[in-house]
Amino acid sequence: MANVIMAVDDSASMRQMVRATLQQAGYQVVEAADGLEALEYARENAVDLVITDVNMPRMDGITLVSELRALPGYRLTPLLLLTTESSQERKMAGKRAGATGWIVKPFNPDQLLATMARVL
Amino acid sequence: MAHFAHVNRYWDRLNSVSAAKLLPGEYYVTTAGEMIVTVLGSCVSACVRDIRLGVGGMNHFMLPLDASGGNSAWGAAVSAATRYGNVAMERLINDILKLGGRRDSLEFKLVGGGKVMRTMSLDIGARNISFVRKYVAEEGFAVAGEDLGDIYPRKVCYFPDSGRIRVKKLTTLHNDTLIERERHYLDDLDRDPVASDIELF
Repeated sequence: MANVIMAVDDSASMRQMVRATLQQAGYQVVEAADGLEALEYARENAVDLVITDVNMPRMDGITLVSELRALPGYRLTPLLLLTTESSQERKMAGKRAGATGWIVKPFNPDQLLATMARVL
Repeated sequence: MAHFAHVNRYWDRLNSVSAAKLLPGEYYVTTAGEMIVTVLGSCVSACVRDIRLGVGGMNHFMLPLDASGGNSAWGAAVSAATRYGNVAMERLINDILKLGGRRDSLEFKLVGGGKVMRTMSLDIGARNISFVRKYVAEEGFAVAGEDLGDIYPRKVCYFPDSGRIRVKKLTTLHNDTLIERERHYLDDLDRDPVASDIELF
């Protein structure tokens, strides 16, 4: 069965680009528009990998990562941050929260898929 | 914000206001009642502000030409051009949100996209216009005003605190600076692959 990937971003066009990329590679994609929506989904459903934006309303991506890490089913799940932010300080905050990796937008589709394949 | 240190700032005597002047590829966000100025040929600018706070800014960009002519393996939806344009819009919007803006109170005004490079067969301006309109519609934002297309370059002055915008069509250009600057920007974009930095922890 195809791996289920959750794409979290407050931008509809960004979610659509991530979805198009992942679906072409055969992944199953679920979307969430902010961290809280993602966390609520993750509590009830299994997800194999999460790609999340950082700056979002209601709950940002770094908080989402630490909340997910606290759930029993998500200790080892790859959690990737995909963001326009490139500061070392924010990256370190992501790392401390338990993120698997940090990807700076604009993403390259081939690179994104290669990175996912490495961590899945 | 620290990442705006490179943007050219000056005192505009005519309007008695502190001003920031954008070059192609730059953007700027202000909370301090500044004026943002740029000159657009075929590039486009989104002028965006939170109407409750009077905080806003402007970007100035164009899409890279897609070497594959839009026929890359990823199709138009994930083309390098679309990915680049998305980031140009997202950086501006994110900075406004970080300063307390809310998506549902953002006001958008769109300018530029003139067909100014008459020697080129491809209408770069039209391509930029079509991207920015589609982006704003997909994100569910309303457009409060636009001045797009035509054949003239434009000088734009934007006041994010009030939302006022002044657009002057430049019917005569005294030199090639504007066109040359846009050409260089486009060349740089095409040399620079739209790719990301990836770090695994």
